[in-house]
Amino acid sequence: MKKLETYYFIIGYSVASWWCIQSIRENDPVGFIQVVSDEKTCYSRPLITYGLGRTVDSIAYQGKIEESNKVQVSYESRVERLDARKKMAFLADGTEISFEKALIASGGVPIIPEITGREKPGIFTFTRQKDMENIASFMYKKPAKNIVILGGGFIGLKTCEAMMNMNKNITLVELAPRLLQNMLDEEGSYYLEKSLLRSGVHIIKEDTIVSFEEEKGNLSDVLLKSGRRIPADLAVIAIGVRPHVDWLRSSGIEINRGIVVDEFQESSCPDIYAAGDVAETRHLLTGERSVVAIWPEAVNQGRVAGWNMSGRVVSYPGSLPMNAVEIGEKALVSAGIVNPTDDNCEIIIKKDRENYKKLVIKDDCIIGVIFIGDIEKSGIYINLMRQKLPVQAFYEKLLEPNFGLINLPTQYRKHFVKGAGIEV
Amino acid sequence: MKKIVIHEEYCIGCRLCEIQCLVKHSSSGKIIKAFREEFPRPVSRVHVEEEGYLSFALQCRHCEDATCIENCLTGAMHRDEKSGAVICDETKCVGCWMCIMSCPFGVIQREKKERKIASKCDLCGNDGEPACVTNCPNEALSYEET
Repeated sequence: MKKLETYYFIIGYSVASWWCIQSIRENDPVGFIQVVSDEKTCYSRPLITYGLGRTVDSIAYQGKIEESNKVQVSYESRVERLDARKKMAFLADGTEISFEKALIASGGVPIIPEITGREKPGIFTFTRQKDMENIASFMYKKPAKNIVILGGGFIGLKTCEAMMNMNKNITLVELAPRLLQNMLDEEGSYYLEKSLLRSGVHIIKEDTIVSFEEEKGNLSDVLLKSGRRIPADLAVIAIGVRPHVDWLRSSGIEINRGIVVDEFQESSCPDIYAAGDVAETRHLLTGERSVVAIWPEAVNQGRVAGWNMSGRVVSYPGSLPMNAVEIGEKALVSAGIVNPTDDNCEIIIKKDRENYKKLVIKDDCIIGVIFIGDIEKSGIYINLMRQKLPVQAFYEKLLEPNFGLINLPTQYRKHFVKGAGIEV
Repeated sequence: MKKIVIHEEYCIGCRLCEIQCLVKHSSSGKIIKAFREEFPRPVSRVHVEEEGYLSFALQCRHCEDATCIENCLTGAMHRDEKSGAVICDETKCVGCWMCIMSCPFGVIQREKKERKIASKCDLCGNDGEPACVTNCPNEALSYEET
């Protein structure tokens, strides 16, 4: 049995870990970092849809961290068990690792519903490099014309975007009455659906797949709950991900939906931190505990974890759900609380045939943003939301076509920025 | 690093900076060709904001803590080691618009070239003084070590 000792131990090697290592290195140039990843490389997960559609040559993530004698990455290696009290990790190959500080960034795993025949060839999930390679090689062997995607959420739509670039006949099946129901409101979904239909994507709502049917060993159709039958050569299950925490059940770490962390990204066990899709943080605006599985928060959480692990105390302000996507020539950005259930919210909407903009305002602060079409200025509003800046002083100008930094209070323009030369 | 500094008290809102920026980033580099013969038309990376008597030209601030770099999925948005400028490597950009969503100044735009890419101020490729600064008739922009 191999035994290893390390100061920092990092589980998973995607964006949260990458930025955690950057932060550690800012404070501690020498502490040994051991990374364990069950992947073959360090790559950018969201790029797999672009990789499949061949929009990019490589899905590798930026600037590989020097795998010097101070950072060691073990690829295709899996942690089987963690003893948080003894600070020991046990790998699948029998290696025992003892550590001082650990980051758990084991990410998410796709949710796969009970559907008859889901183990048949031609049925995939699409969250990892391996999935991309499997789908590509399946399509290479057998040109799949009819694609069915289960799930009209973010992953489903990104998959759809990849397939659209490959000129496929796509059917999107969504259980909810509309697409992207977390990111958009009803009207926003309508803009998106209109654009998808225009691009030739078939959309089936309020229905789901109950069975995958085959003919001569090949996937041939999917049977829907409504009784409808859709021809399918390839199906992608994309209804969402959940935190990858099953392997931690006996570790002693508090787990709710994800790993429960405090404002320093530290778990219930001292010196063990978590970040990214596996971590359960507080919502920036509501303070409620939630897993916000998005890239920007994986970066933020990874950074905060890294700083705290290496001795610089930094607290994390909270997670703000947000995302951007362009699909069927329609760009959209969404952030914060876009479907408020609270009656005290005010809603401002500006729209025309191609563009839709919505702001949700509560207690004089922006708490939700949807931009469809013209998305260029969306970042200004999202930043105001993050900063919780009262909007009363420029309320009348919000969503005006020329709204910009010029409408913000001079004090804010001049001083909200960090660093010389960037004040406006 | 050297940055473009905005002097709003001198800006007269003439928008010459926008025109010169567009020309500088066109393939011909010629003003009439850039506006009349290049399709899709190149876009200016600087924009004049105007409100009553106040105006200023705004372009990427090349932040020290650049959220657009952190949020870029591909590493296309990066910091140029030599100049310190925040630059988008168009060959790596996939047009996911994470940077647009992240920019507190709203100065990154979508541009359709052979494919869709994020377009922003590149300080004119560190080719001396940026065109918007050089061509400002009232010194409302300056290029300074900060």
